[in-house]
Amino acid sequence: MIQLEQLTKRYDDRLAVDHLSLEVPDGRVCVLIGPSGCGKTTTLRMINRLVEPTGGRILIDGRDTASLPAEELRRSLGYAIQSVGLFPHLTVAENVATVPRLLRWDKQRIRQRVREMLALVGLEPDDYEASYPRQLSGGEAQRVGVARALAADPPVLLMDEPFGAVDPLTRGRLQGEFARIQRELRKTVVFVTHDVDEAIRLADLIAIMRDGRLVQYDTPERVLDHPADGFVHDFVGVDRALKRLGRVRVADVMRTDVPHAATPDAAAALARGEGGAGYAYLVDNDGRLLGWVDARMVREGWPCEEAVTRVRVAEASVGVDATLKEALSRMLGFGFRAIPVVDAADVLLGEVGLNAVEAATEAGSRASELRERPSDEASR
Amino acid sequence: MAERPFSGVDPVALFGSALALVGATTLPFVEFRTSRIGIATYHGIGAAAPVGYAFLAAVLACVAVAVLVPPRTRGAWLKGVGGVALVALGWALGVAASHLLAGASSISRVSTGGGAWVALIGIAVVEFAGSQALPSRRARLAIDAAIAVALAAALVLGGAEQLSLAREYAARADEFWPEVARHLELAGAGVGFGVLLGVPLGVLAWRSSSARRVVLGVVGVIQTIPSLALIGLLIAPLAALRVASPLLANFGLSGIGTTPAVIALTLYALLPVVRGTYVGLAEVDPGAIEAGRGMGMSPTRLLLRVEMPLALPLLVDGIRTATVLDIGIASVMFFAGAGGLGVFIFEGVGQVAPDLTLLGALPVIVLALIADALLRALRDASVSPGLRGEQA
Repeated sequence: MIQLEQLTKRYDDRLAVDHLSLEVPDGRVCVLIGPSGCGKTTTLRMINRLVEPTGGRILIDGRDTASLPAEELRRSLGYAIQSVGLFPHLTVAENVATVPRLLRWDKQRIRQRVREMLALVGLEPDDYEASYPRQLSGGEAQRVGVARALAADPPVLLMDEPFGAVDPLTRGRLQGEFARIQRELRKTVVFVTHDVDEAIRLADLIAIMRDGRLVQYDTPERVLDHPADGFVHDFVGVDRALKRLGRVRVADVMRTDVPHAATPDAAAALARGEGGAGYAYLVDNDGRLLGWVDARMVREGWPCEEAVTRVRVAEASVGVDATLKEALSRMLGFGFRAIPVVDAADVLLGEVGLNAVEAATEAGSRASELRERPSDEASR
Repeated sequence: MAERPFSGVDPVALFGSALALVGATTLPFVEFRTSRIGIATYHGIGAAAPVGYAFLAAVLACVAVAVLVPPRTRGAWLKGVGGVALVALGWALGVAASHLLAGASSISRVSTGGGAWVALIGIAVVEFAGSQALPSRRARLAIDAAIAVALAAALVLGGAEQLSLAREYAARADEFWPEVARHLELAGAGVGFGVLLGVPLGVLAWRSSSARRVVLGVVGVIQTIPSLALIGLLIAPLAALRVASPLLANFGLSGIGTTPAVIALTLYALLPVVRGTYVGLAEVDPGAIEAGRGMGMSPTRLLLRVEMPLALPLLVDGIRTATVLDIGIASVMFFAGAGGLGVFIFEGVGQVAPDLTLLGALPVIVLALIADALLRALRDASVSPGLRGEQA
C-alpha cells in the first residue's frame, strides 16, 4: 500500500503540490490525471524521490520512504516514462537488465529474467535481445521500457505517460497489454496521464488533480457518474456513456459460439443453414480469421469462393484485450453490426455486436448507481 | 542508362587538376641558387624534361577522368591517375635538380618552386576527390599504399636527394629525428595533461551551471592568448617558484624549457577537451538520464555507464582537435627553449634559408595529419554499435 500524507512541494512561492493525501491499495492501479501543471508528475516523482517533498510524507507498506537511501528506494520501484529513456549504447537485453545488475543478481538469473520480461511484453526474446534501441519502433521501445521497469519484480510500478509518445492504434494495443500484464502480476501502480480515456480504461482509482490539489479520488465509474464538481464534470467531458464503454473488455462480453468453417463451401452452408445468422466466418486450418461469407450473396448465385469477403484482419477485427469502446468505433467505421474478436495470432475467438454495447451501457450505469464509494478515507 | 553529357563531371577533381596544370605551366617549377642563400633564378617545368612533360600528361589525364569517366568507377580512376601524376611530380623534381646541378659548383642549390607546390596541392585535391568517390575503405588504403611506395622509389631513383630540402636534412640528420621525438613528447604531454584536467572540468561544467560559465569562459579566454605571450607570462612566476622551492627545482621545474612549454600546451588543449566533454554530455538524451536516476543508479555509476559512453564520440573529437592544435603550437615552443621541430623552422627564418624552414614545417603538417587520422579511427572504434548510423 502506498500512502501519501499531506504531501507538499513548493517551488519558490508556487505550490506545485498542495497537501495531497491519498492511498493506493495493494495491487491496484491509481491514475493521476489533470491538466498540465496540475502537479501529477511532480507527485509521481516525489514517490521515488526524484523530487524531494517540501512537506508531508510518503509511506510504502507503512515505511517512510525518506528513511531509505534514495537510490535503494528507487531500485525497489519500477519506473517507466514517456520518453522511455532507453540507453542507446546498450542492447535491449542490457537495458532490461539495468536494475537486476544494480541489485547484483547473478548472470544466469539476469539472462533468464530478461527473456521472461521480453516475452511478457510481447517481444520474442531471440529476435530482440541483441537489438539496439535505434532499431526499435516507438511501440517496441515502449514495451522494452515497461519490461525494464518490471525486470527486478518491484511490488510498485511508477509510470509517467508510458504510452504517450506512440500513435493511437499502438497506444490502444499497449494499453490492452498493460491491462493483461497487470491482471497477471497485480502490481501496485501509480500511473500519470492526461488522457481521460486511458485513465478510465486502466484505473482502479482515478485521482483528478488541479492546481496541486486533489479534486476527486474515486473509481472510474464514480468519476463518470458523480463528478465531484464542475471542473471534474467538464474535464471528463459529456460523452460519459461512450467513455464507460472503455471500462468493458471485449473478452468479457463477446459471443463465442459464432458460425465458422475452414472452407468457403462449408462456411456458405453454415451461413444459409436452418436458423443460421445469415453469415459465417471463414478461418484457416489453425483457426485464424480469413474473412466471412454472406448468405445473401450465396443465394443470389455467386460461387462460394467469390462470396467470401476476405479482410485485412488487423483492421476488420478487434483484439481480445480491446475495450468495447474500440469495438464500437470499429463497427461504426465499417458499418458492421458486429465485429469478430481475435487473439494475438489472429485466431477467431468470437464476436461482439451492437447488442453487447447496448447491454453494457445499461448494465454499467445501473451498476455504478448501486456501487459505494471505495473509501471515504481515501478520497478525502 | 543514358546520362546527360557532363552531368557526371566531378567539379572538385576538375578544379584540382586545373590548379595543378596552371600552377605547373605558369609558375616556376624549381629555383636555382649558386649558394644556399644566393639570389634565385627561376626555371619552368621544361627543366625537368622529359619527365616534366609526362607529369603534365598525367594531369591532363586527370582532367579527362574528371569529365569522362562515369561516377560509379571514377573514384578508383581518379586516385590511380592522380597517383601517377604525383609519382611523376616527385621524379620530375629529381630530374630538374640533376639537370641544373650538372656542372654547377657543389654549393649550388635547387629548391622546389611555387609551381611545383601548387601542382602538389592540385594533385592532393584530385586524390581527395577520388577518396570521396571511392566507398571501399580497403581499396582506398591499397591505392594510397601503392602510391606511397612508388613515390618513395621515384624520389630516390629520380635524384630528389639533390634538392635543397634533402641537403638541409642531410646536414641536420643527427638532430632531425630527436627533434621530431621531442616535438611529439611536448604535444603528447600537453594533450595528456589537457585530458586529465579537461575531462573533469567538462564534467564539472555540465553538472553545475554556476561552474559552467566560469570554466567555459576561462578556457575560452586562454585560447585567445597568443602562444608567445603565454610563454612570456609563464617565465616570471615559474622562475620565482623555482627559487622559492628547491624541491620543485629538483623535479626539473624551471622558467624556461620543458615546464612552460608543457604548461602552455596543456592550457591550449583545454578548450577542445573541455568543450568536447561538455557538449558530449549535454547532448545525452535527458530521458536516458531521467530513467537511469529513476531506476536507482548512483551519480557516479550513471556518469560512467551511461553519460560518458554516450559523450565519448564528441570527447574523442575534442581530443583530436587538441592534438592537431598542440602539434602545431609545439613548433613555437622553440622560443621557450623546449626544442621541437620549431628549431628548424625558426633557424631557417633567421638564416633566410626557406628549405631549412620547410624541413621543420613539413613534418609538423605530416604529424598533424597522421594524428588526425589515428584519432578519427579511435573515435569510430570507441562508438557503441547502438550509436552507429547503420541498421544491423
